[in-house]
Amino acid sequence: MVEVNVPSAWLRGILDLCLLALVASGEAYGYELMRRLEGSGIGPVPGGSLYPALLRLEEQGLLAADWRAGDGGPGRKYYALTPEGRRQLDVEADTWRHFSGALQGLLTGVGAGTP
Amino acid sequence: MSPDTWLEELSHELTARGLPAIDVAGIVVELHGHLAEAGGTPLGTFGPPAAYAGQLAASLRPRPQPRSSAPSVAGSRRRAGRLRIRAEGVTLAYRRRPVLHGVDLAVRAGELVLLTGRNGVGKSTLLRVVAGLAVPQRGRVTVHGSVGYAPQSGGLVEHLRPAEHFVLFGRPRGLDGDRARRSGARLAEQLGWDALAAPVVGELSGGTRQKLNVVLAGLGDPDVLLLDEPYQGLDLDSTRRFWDLVWAWRDARRAVLVVSHARDALGRVDQVVELQAPVAA
Repeated sequence: MVEVNVPSAWLRGILDLCLLALVASGEAYGYELMRRLEGSGIGPVPGGSLYPALLRLEEQGLLAADWRAGDGGPGRKYYALTPEGRRQLDVEADTWRHFSGALQGLLTGVGAGTP
Repeated sequence: MSPDTWLEELSHELTARGLPAIDVAGIVVELHGHLAEAGGTPLGTFGPPAAYAGQLAASLRPRPQPRSSAPSVAGSRRRAGRLRIRAEGVTLAYRRRPVLHGVDLAVRAGELVLLTGRNGVGKSTLLRVVAGLAVPQRGRVTVHGSVGYAPQSGGLVEHLRPAEHFVLFGRPRGLDGDRARRSGARLAEQLGWDALAAPVVGELSGGTRQKLNVVLAGLGDPDVLLLDEPYQGLDLDSTRRFWDLVWAWRDARRAVLVVSHARDALGRVDQVVELQAPVAA
């Protein structure tokens, strides 16, 4: 995978959408989501923005949290998509496709072939 | 800073921002788990505890909290009643040094207003003007209803016990000795303080003196409450209790004017009035 340096302002704008999409493919806890985001090529998410975002999504009813006993630890907080979260994800995914298509059009020919 | 210290500070900061204990505990456990698995220092991962607490609290802000946070300005406007304090063009100088210049202020029944601004802009002076303790050279101040005033410091008698203060301050507000002691003790209890067992004022800490001043301001249920830096020396628990008391006053249709430069006060009031320094004459 090509190493890209995603500006942090972009990441801030799409972090909620990324988290909804990740959780849609299986419930996960905070650190796990962070690793999966990195693995997806979106890039490292600063820990400082991950938990406020999860808290916000939970607060908005888009994610539901569930505490499970951990291995000897005090337990982990697992996040899952709620039906409302699923609807929000569908809407935002469509918006994003439209937006990225438009941007793609704008960028046609720009930077192509530069080493 | 060790992870435990960091988490402890975060938990204090979250509590000070009015988060319920159950939410604070959840956040601390989750972050503790993250650090245990990911390694790294909390400071490097999450940043300074105060700033991070602010971010986390902001994520929770839209939650409707009928009792534990101030309602929106729009909401309070709807519920605010008749005008209790009106100041128009208040101008005051000490020895030709301007302190207040053309200051306007309006506070209604059921409204909680924060008066803020840098040191020396005349916040305390404006409060004294509203309380009738200082007379402006120009401008007009009208106050409708009875007034309770808690000065920033002083106003207490060193060799009297708090219970004796209740009797002394209760009398002009129409409370006999017993009722004054009872209502003083009840208000003090709301601030987490056993006032009837307290020794003379001279032996009290700064924070406890402030509690006493707040209690004295609230004696006899005045229509207007003027509180000057009322919680500067209070611990976190007392600070929360202080705000609960102030919100209860506001909900009981009192007009409350609080002077503070504590930043956490900003999110806890219906309206913020920032005083600017007058231009030197």
